[in-house]
Amino acid sequence: MNQQEITLDQLLSQRREANREIVNVEEPTRKLVVFELQGDWFAFQGEKIREILSHVDVFFVPGCPTSLEGVINVRGDIESVISLHELLQLPESVDISSSSYLLGSGAGMSSTIRVDKVVDVVDVLLSNIHKPPTTLPEHLRAIVSGVLQFKEKTVTALDLDRIFADYSNGLG
Amino acid sequence: MALDLKKFISRFVEEAREHIKRLGEGLDAMSRDSEDRENINAIFRSAHTIKGSSRMLKLSSITETAHKLEDVLGALRDGSLHYRPELGNLLYRGVDAIAVLVEYLAKSGDGATLPAVDEALCASLAQAATGEVSAAVARPSGIDLATDDAPLAVESTSPPAVTPSTLAVTSPSVKAKLNTADTVRVRLAKLDELIKLMGEVVSSHATLRQRLHDIRLIEYDDSPESWEQHRARLHHFGLTLRDDVQGQELLMNELHDKALIMRMLPLAMVFDSAGRVVRDLAHSVGKEVECVVIGAEIELDRQMIDKLSDPIVHLLRNAIDHGLETSAARLAAGKSPQGHITLSARQDGGWVVIEVADDGAGVPVEAVREKALRKGFISAEQATSLSDQEVVDLIFRPGFSTSAIITDISGRGVGMDVVKQSIVDDLQGEVTVETRLGAGTTFALRLPLSLAVMRVLLVEVNGLPFGFTAQYVDELIRVPHEEMLTIVERNAVIIRNEFVPVVALADLLHAPKRLVKTSRSQTGTFDHGMLLVVVRVRNEKLALAVDDLLDERDMVIKPLPEHMRRLTMVSGMVITGRNELVSVLHAPVLLELARKARGQTSRTEAADHAEAQGTAYKILVVDDSLNTREIEKDVLEAWGYHVTLAEDGMDGLQRARAGTFDAILTDVEMPNMDGFTLTSMLRQEEKYRDTPIVIITSREKEEDKRHGIQVGADAYIVKGDFEQNSLVDTLRSLLG
Repeated sequence: MNQQEITLDQLLSQRREANREIVNVEEPTRKLVVFELQGDWFAFQGEKIREILSHVDVFFVPGCPTSLEGVINVRGDIESVISLHELLQLPESVDISSSSYLLGSGAGMSSTIRVDKVVDVVDVLLSNIHKPPTTLPEHLRAIVSGVLQFKEKTVTALDLDRIFADYSNGLG
Repeated sequence: MALDLKKFISRFVEEAREHIKRLGEGLDAMSRDSEDRENINAIFRSAHTIKGSSRMLKLSSITETAHKLEDVLGALRDGSLHYRPELGNLLYRGVDAIAVLVEYLAKSGDGATLPAVDEALCASLAQAATGEVSAAVARPSGIDLATDDAPLAVESTSPPAVTPSTLAVTSPSVKAKLNTADTVRVRLAKLDELIKLMGEVVSSHATLRQRLHDIRLIEYDDSPESWEQHRARLHHFGLTLRDDVQGQELLMNELHDKALIMRMLPLAMVFDSAGRVVRDLAHSVGKEVECVVIGAEIELDRQMIDKLSDPIVHLLRNAIDHGLETSAARLAAGKSPQGHITLSARQDGGWVVIEVADDGAGVPVEAVREKALRKGFISAEQATSLSDQEVVDLIFRPGFSTSAIITDISGRGVGMDVVKQSIVDDLQGEVTVETRLGAGTTFALRLPLSLAVMRVLLVEVNGLPFGFTAQYVDELIRVPHEEMLTIVERNAVIIRNEFVPVVALADLLHAPKRLVKTSRSQTGTFDHGMLLVVVRVRNEKLALAVDDLLDERDMVIKPLPEHMRRLTMVSGMVITGRNELVSVLHAPVLLELARKARGQTSRTEAADHAEAQGTAYKILVVDDSLNTREIEKDVLEAWGYHVTLAEDGMDGLQRARAGTFDAILTDVEMPNMDGFTLTSMLRQEEKYRDTPIVIITSREKEEDKRHGIQVGADAYIVKGDFEQNSLVDTLRSLLG
């Protein structure tokens, strides 16, 4: 009986609602690689990360700044390993044996970045990524591109291009 | 439909380059023998071919120039015109103009945008063909051979009429560059060999696959055989696998060699254009220079060839601008009016030595010394104590330029330091200068044949492996701990009559201690003394203490990622059999680091006291070993003495005569004049009759000591039992 009570108008409006859902799905998304460092969650834009590596040996290179932990062998190419701890003012990880390495490129250079754990690779609606709050600490302001909620945790999206650009300038 | 000419442009460029090269060589030959008909015919044909093929592609400015050139050559060929040097210059200009247009074309790939023909030049050529050489010929052309900024070449079409004297300072664009190529031509046979080898590698891989199958069979075999039988099968398997690995190794080596050879190019790539570069540069400063090229057939890895062009051009510039005198000055000095530059290459073991030699005035050592002092590169004290060779080396300091007037060719204060940097840092080579006042200067570049594969010595420090390229390793020695000397808070050892500073490699590199000890680091070799890797850069040595030696073989050097290239301490990486990445250390930088660390050693109170009192004694130290001189100097300076250094007996005698010293320290075995002779010579001088002279040597024999005392030495210290205090105490007691 109830079904009969639905009027044509209601039907049409339901249909419109459904259509709107479809339109919503087409909203632009951004692929993010979400990772953990010292319990905090961060993310890089997916297109900037070429590969995620784990169980690799890092080799010491003399004369490197502290943020450069060494080099790894990626199928015959030598790639550097950058640690973000100093930049993000986080304490150094004690055990790096379970670390993952994000091989990224941007600002004309390529390097891996050591993270404690890769949480997920996800497509996030652009509308869900918010502008970084103005209360952000000074050292983060330049490198944070946005903030979002993911699995009930706050994820800070970082700008890889900016980090690499600063990095290659800072070394000289 | 119109023909797409672009497709043919690159082919034309390649062909034209060959002909331009032939034209250049032909004109060189003509300047030596103008009657060689065969030569004239050959260059005529080259000009003709360029004209013909450029016309087909509607490259009218090239066609026009080549056409005019051909006319003149034709007149020379049929004898209606006779060769004169001015005519030669004009012809060179014609060829250079074509070269510039061709390079422009190579860059743009489009014939339609080619700059217009140089009317003035064509007019001169046309005039010359009728038998007149116009006055315009004397003008140097501002030729720009740099392909990367080709549009500048257009400037050369109308050089302003200026006199040669002002040109030396204001010439707008004498930008020379030697040719390097983007492509490599490989003989088909070489390529076939390589492909054949690839086939071998594939089949060798199939063999390995078979071995994998074999071992599986052994593994899963459940036949009731005894352990003995099983072991025998395993042993057999091991042997076969060993053979396979050895076979594979041979194959890999061969493949590697063959592939590398393909990238080897003759030095002619850079040397061939040197003649023209020298001519242009000499012309623009109004000097007469002849350039001789030797050894252009020697092959080097093209990676190196590419980077060699700039340093060589700079050395040529330097020779023309600073080295060679003007014709008038040369005549006055009793030399031929024409200066000579020799660009030569020769092989020396695993090295190639390239020399740029001129027969000019030589480096004015005293002027360099004064200038270095004025510019604050050295202190007044250093100015008197530096040896001539050390002074000459100052020209490699950034910002150093001795030319009184800054010219456009060189003397901008950039250059020699860049030469050094690119040879030492980029090419892993060495630069040395030899100069004699009035007789000329020779710059020698020592380069490895290839950067891709080098002999590498692997050592271990704190459980971490590090590599050294073999060309910097002088020797490996094990020294008992008791033979280590401590001199002003630093360690040193004596190796064959020479003090060599010792530094722990771990300290220099700030190498962390590896947490997991590798099996190889527990060899327990420490008990037999210290293991030292003695590295040498030119005449300076440094002994680096390491824990163990791991390996020594030819290895492929991989470059560091681009952003890490600024870490000059590491020249590249090698991969070991355990798949570890190992940093290959750059010895010149290690020496520099060790030197800096040395500079920070504390001075004693005595030094400060002497300084404050102004009572510092002046000491002359004579020793042919740079390391020994430096160490003795450090010891003495730490105790407040003023030290002057001399590099052999003759140098010592001259310095002693020129100045006044309170004491003289000398080695015995030295070139030119030994220490005994120096001592007896000094004793004959009025002012050194009673001056303390101390002989420091490794000669322990009694008779040597006696000889030393006989010739008039006051003390004789044997380097083996040399301790800091004994030297200073001896000096104290002698100085009273």
